[in-house]
Amino acid sequence: MAKERITHSICVGGPLTIHTVDGVIRRVRPIVLDDTDPQGWVIKARGKEYTPQRKTTLSLLGFTEKDRTYAYDRVKYPMIREDFVETADGQNRNAENRGKSNYRRASWDEALGLVAREIKRIQSTYGKEAVTAITSSHHSWGLVGYKISLFNRFFSMLGYTRIADNPDSWEGFHWGTPHTYGYYWRLGGPEPFDMLHDAMKNTETMIMWSHDPDTTRGGYSAQESALWRWWMKEMGIQFIYIDPFNNFSSVKQADKWIGPRMGTDAALCEAIAYVWITEGTYDKEYIAKHGHRFDEWADHILGKGVDATPKTPAWAEEITGVKAADIKAIARRWASTKTMAGSGMRGGFGGACRTVGGTDYARLLVSLLAMQGMGKPGQNMWTGTCGAPMNYNFWFGGYSDPLASIAKSPIADHPAVNSVQQTLYRTNLPDAVLDGHYEWLGEGFCGGGLDFEFTRHVYPMPGCSEVKMFWRYGGSFMGTMLDTNKWVKMYQSPKLEFVVNQDTHINPEGRMADVILPACTNLERVDIGEVGNSGNGGYCSHSQTGNSWQVVVYQDKAIEPLWDSRSDFWIFSQVAARLGWGEEFTEGRNEEEWAKRFYQFSDLPKHMSWEDFKKKGYFIPAVTFNEENKDPKTGLYEKWDEHPGFQWFAEERPCDTPNHKIFQEEGKLGTLTGKFEFVSESMLYWEPDDEIRTPIAQYKDSWEGHKSVSADKFPYQLMSPHPRFDYHTHYQQHATWLWEIPQNRRLVNGNPYLVARINPVTAEKKGIKEGDIVALFNGRGTVLCSAHITRRVYPETIHAYTSSGIYNPVEYGKYGSVDKGGCVNVLTPGRLMGDYIPAMVPNSCNIDIEKAEADPNPGQGFEFIIDSLEMQSKFRCEKTSAEADQIFGEKEAK
Amino acid sequence: MKYGIAIDSSRCMACYACFMACKDEHCGWDTTVSKAQPHMGQFWMNIVEWERGDNERHIKTATVPTPCSHCDNPACMAAAKDGAVYKRADGIVIIDPEKAKGQKQIVEACPVGAVYWNAELEIPQKCTMCAHLLDDPEYPGKEPRCVEACPNQALVFGDLDDPNSEVSKKIAAGKVTQLEALGDAGSSVVHLNVPSAFIAGTVFYPAEEEEVYIGAQVKATCECGKVYETVTNWAGDYEFEDLPKNKKFTVEITTKDFQTVNFDVVTDADHYFETYLAK
Repeated sequence: MAKERITHSICVGGPLTIHTVDGVIRRVRPIVLDDTDPQGWVIKARGKEYTPQRKTTLSLLGFTEKDRTYAYDRVKYPMIREDFVETADGQNRNAENRGKSNYRRASWDEALGLVAREIKRIQSTYGKEAVTAITSSHHSWGLVGYKISLFNRFFSMLGYTRIADNPDSWEGFHWGTPHTYGYYWRLGGPEPFDMLHDAMKNTETMIMWSHDPDTTRGGYSAQESALWRWWMKEMGIQFIYIDPFNNFSSVKQADKWIGPRMGTDAALCEAIAYVWITEGTYDKEYIAKHGHRFDEWADHILGKGVDATPKTPAWAEEITGVKAADIKAIARRWASTKTMAGSGMRGGFGGACRTVGGTDYARLLVSLLAMQGMGKPGQNMWTGTCGAPMNYNFWFGGYSDPLASIAKSPIADHPAVNSVQQTLYRTNLPDAVLDGHYEWLGEGFCGGGLDFEFTRHVYPMPGCSEVKMFWRYGGSFMGTMLDTNKWVKMYQSPKLEFVVNQDTHINPEGRMADVILPACTNLERVDIGEVGNSGNGGYCSHSQTGNSWQVVVYQDKAIEPLWDSRSDFWIFSQVAARLGWGEEFTEGRNEEEWAKRFYQFSDLPKHMSWEDFKKKGYFIPAVTFNEENKDPKTGLYEKWDEHPGFQWFAEERPCDTPNHKIFQEEGKLGTLTGKFEFVSESMLYWEPDDEIRTPIAQYKDSWEGHKSVSADKFPYQLMSPHPRFDYHTHYQQHATWLWEIPQNRRLVNGNPYLVARINPVTAEKKGIKEGDIVALFNGRGTVLCSAHITRRVYPETIHAYTSSGIYNPVEYGKYGSVDKGGCVNVLTPGRLMGDYIPAMVPNSCNIDIEKAEADPNPGQGFEFIIDSLEMQSKFRCEKTSAEADQIFGEKEAK
Repeated sequence: MKYGIAIDSSRCMACYACFMACKDEHCGWDTTVSKAQPHMGQFWMNIVEWERGDNERHIKTATVPTPCSHCDNPACMAAAKDGAVYKRADGIVIIDPEKAKGQKQIVEACPVGAVYWNAELEIPQKCTMCAHLLDDPEYPGKEPRCVEACPNQALVFGDLDDPNSEVSKKIAAGKVTQLEALGDAGSSVVHLNVPSAFIAGTVFYPAEEEEVYIGAQVKATCECGKVYETVTNWAGDYEFEDLPKNKKFTVEITTKDFQTVNFDVVTDADHYFETYLAK
C-alpha cells in the first residue's frame, strides 16, 4: 500500500486514528488496542464475565471527520463583507445588510490589521467592556484549543465583557435538583461512579426517562456504553422508556415505552408517588431518616394540601395522556424491584427538563428515587451511560478542569485575568444588545453554591458601556439557541459596530459577520486531551467513565492547515502581537510546547515519556495500579478501587466518591438541611414568591403548552431534543454524507430537508403523505421539513431534532424568513422559564403544521453548498491556496 | 478460507457507524479492487429499516445492514460479460471496474439491490468486503471497515470455514434469517435475527378498574398447528415474536376470574391488541 502515516486525535464522536497519504487524509478509524495496552476491567455478574472490546468506538459523526475537514463550506480565506466600510466612528457600516451581503477575499494582514484597529478604536472610545466574545461549545477537542483555555487566555488578557453560558442541555436539573438533594457542584447531576458494576450485579429495572442513550451517547463518549446496555438487556433487566418520542434506543430495546404529553412529566412523577404513599410501598425508614418535610409533601400528593387535589393516576392520565393502569404498573414495578432511574444523557439531562415544568420534573424524579432508598445496591440515579470502572488515581486534565487551562497556573507562568466585571447572558444576548438593557438572576453555571442561582445582574453594569464589538468564535447559536430570528435581528443592528466570526466552516452566524477569520480544524493542528473527560472537579466531573477505556491522546497534526486557514492559537497570537502583547500571550511557547505543559502536570509522565507518547499517539491507564488487586494465579487484576455513587449516603458512612464536598463526609447532602428536601428550604429562603419554581415541586400548566392560550391556534407540541445525526450544529451542514440517512434528511430540489415526525392521525387530518414537504409554524416563524409518518409519536406531538445544523432562510438575511434548513429553533420561545429562573425551554413550544411546497430555488442562500458539491471530489485533495484559487478564487471573491 | 460477515439485526441499533466507515473508506479513493465511490448516492453498506407495529403502544423497528451478500452463486456474475464479475478463492465477489464498463445489467441482476451504477464512470459498483485492506499486510486493521466500526458486535467478521472462528460461532449460536430476496442461496454475508412478525398486546381488568392484568395465560395457535404460550408480565403485556409470516393465528387469553377471550389474527404484519376483560 502507499506509505501511510498514522496519527491520532479526538472529536465529539470519539477518539480518532487518522491515516494520511502524502499529506491528505485517507481514512479515520477507531483506536484498536495493541498488546502493550492494559487488560480491561472484568465485571463478574450473574454467572458471567464482561469485559470491554479491545477497541474504542466512534459515533457516525466521528466517521465523517474527513468529510467535514475537506467540506465544501470551509472558510478558506480571510473574508471581509463586501459593503463593510471602516468608518472612523463605527457608524454607517451597512450593518443591516449582515446576512445578505457577499464577501470579498482578504489577506491575513488586511483582516488582522482591521480587527486590531477596531479593538483599539472601540476600547479606547468606549472602554474595554465594549468588546464582547463567546465560543461555541464542543466545536473542537483539546486542552490547548478549547474555550476555557486559549480563548479565555486571549480575551482575559484583552479585557472584555464575558457572556455567561446557560446550562442549555440540563436546565431543569441545574436550576431544580440542588434544592432537593444538593449537588450544585455537579450542576444538579448525580454521582454515576461505579454504577455499571452495581447495576450489572443488582439491578432488575432500568427507567430511562427522557433518555435516548444511543443518540446522546453519554455526551461525547461515542457508542461506548451501547454494549453495556445490551449486556444488561440480555441478562433480563427490564428497560422502561418514558419519552414523548419512542426514541431510537427505546424502539430497539424497551420492554415498555410510555409517551407522556410533552411537558407533563411532573404529573407522572406525582402519580407514582401517590401509588407508593397510598400502598405503603416506599422506604419509610430511609425517608424518616433522610427526608425533610416529607409529610407536608405527602399531604400535597394525597390532596390534603392547598390545592385539595389528590394526585391520583387518573388525575395524571388526564394531564399526561398515559393510562392510569400503566402508571400503576410502572409504580409497582419500580417499588418492588431494584431500580435505577434517571433522566437524559448522564442521568440529570433530557428534553423533559427543558420545559417550563423542567425544575418540577427534575426535583420530583429525585424525590421518587429518595423514596425508594437511593444509594442502596442496585437502586440509584443512573441511566446506563457514565459509571464504568476507572482509575481514579490517574489524573489528566479535562476541558473544564480549573487547573487545565493555558489561561491559568500552573500551565501558564502568568495567568490571565479579565479586568472587566460586566457580564452578559447567552440566551438573552440579542435582547440585551437590542434593548440596551437586561437584568437576570444567576451565574449561568452555578457550581459555586446554591446562592449562585440568585445573584442579580444588570447590563450595562453601572458605569459601563454597552457592547459595540462582538467576536464570535464558532457559529452554532443560530441552531442551538432559541428564537433564531432574534439573533438575526441582533446581528443586523448598527449597535454592533463590528462583528468578527472565527470559525472552521461558514456557519449561519459566519454569514452575519463583517470579518470572517478561517480557523483550521482539530485535524490540522496539535493539541492534547483525554477522551470524554470534561474535567475532574469541573463540569460533570469524571465524565470519562462514559467510556470503557480511559484514553489520553496526543492530538497530532494530521495534515497542514487547508487553504489559508490557520490555527486558533496562531490567529490569537497574531492579534495579540498587533495589540502589543504578543510575547506575553504566547510566553514564547508554540502549540506543541503548550500541549507538553499539560502532559508535564498530569500523571502521564509516570507511565510514558513524552517522546513515546507522541510516537504511539495515545495512552490507556490500567483500571488499577493496586498490586493487592492482582490475582496471584492468573496475574490479572480482578478488582479495582470502587467508590460507588451515593452508596456512602445510604450506608451512612463518610463519603468516598471523587469530587465530593467536606460536608458529605459528615453524611450530609448539599441542601440547606443536608437532607432530601421535599419542601425546599433554599427556595423558601431566597425566592419564596417564585410561581414557577415553588418550594414544593409540582405539576403546573405551562405558559406555553397544551392548555395555554396559544394552543387554540397552534395545537401541536414541538419536541426538539438533542440530535442523533449532529452535535451542536457542528456536522450536519458540512458532512453531506449525513444527508443520505433517511431518518435524518431528504433531498428535494437539491435542498436537504430535515425530517419531522408526525403521527398517522395528524397526517390524515392534514392531508400529509410520507416525504411531503410540510411547514411547521407558529407566531415566531416557519420551518419547512420533510414529513415522516410514524407511530413513534402520539398525534399531539411533532418531533424534529434541534441543533440539526443548518439554518437556510429562503430569503437570506431577512428577519422572519421561512427557513428550509430545519432550524427548528426558529419556532422555540425566547422567553426564559420564569422570572427567577434564567433557563431556556425549547420543549415548551406550540406549533401548527400544514402541507407545503418545496422551495423551488435550491441555490438561494445556500450557494456555497450546491455549487460546490459536484466539485467536491476535485478539491478534497487541494492543499495550497494557490491551487484552490484556480477552482474557487473567482467565485468566492465576488 | 472463506471470508464472511455475520450481521445480527437484533444487535443493530442503526447507529450508522458502519455506513459512515464504508463511505470514509471508499468515497473519493480508488483501491486495488475498485474505483472510487461517488461522494454521494451509493450505499455499499445500506441500512434497511422498517417500523413494526400497528399501535403506538407497541412499536419496534427492524434494522438490517445490507451490503453485498457475496453470494455463493452470484447473479451479478452470471449476468456479467467478459468475466467482469469474479469470485475470489476467499469467497469475496469483485466487480472488475475495467471489464465491467458499460455493463448496467450487472446492477439489475442483483436480487437485493446491492450493486450501484456510477453514471460518470459508467461502471457498476458495490461492497468489496474491503478486500484491498485484507490483502494488505501493512494495513494495521484486521477487518473490513464496517465490522471494525460496529460498537455492538452486530457485525462479526472471520473465516466461515473455521468452525472456531468468531463469525462461525456467532452464526452457530444465532438464528439464520437469510434475506428473502436470496431465497435459499448461500452467501458469505449471513443475516441473523431479521425479525418476521409479532403478535403482542396488553390485558386489562375491566376499564373502570384502571389496572393491567398480570399473569393472564395467553396462547397463540397457528393454523400450522404450532402453539405458542406465555403469561402477561408486570405491565400486563404479552408478546409472541418472530412468528411465521402470513399465517392465521387464534389467540386465547385465560384468567382465573374473568371470561376467556378469543380472537383471530393473521401475521401479514405486526399486530398489537388491547384486551379489557369482562366478568
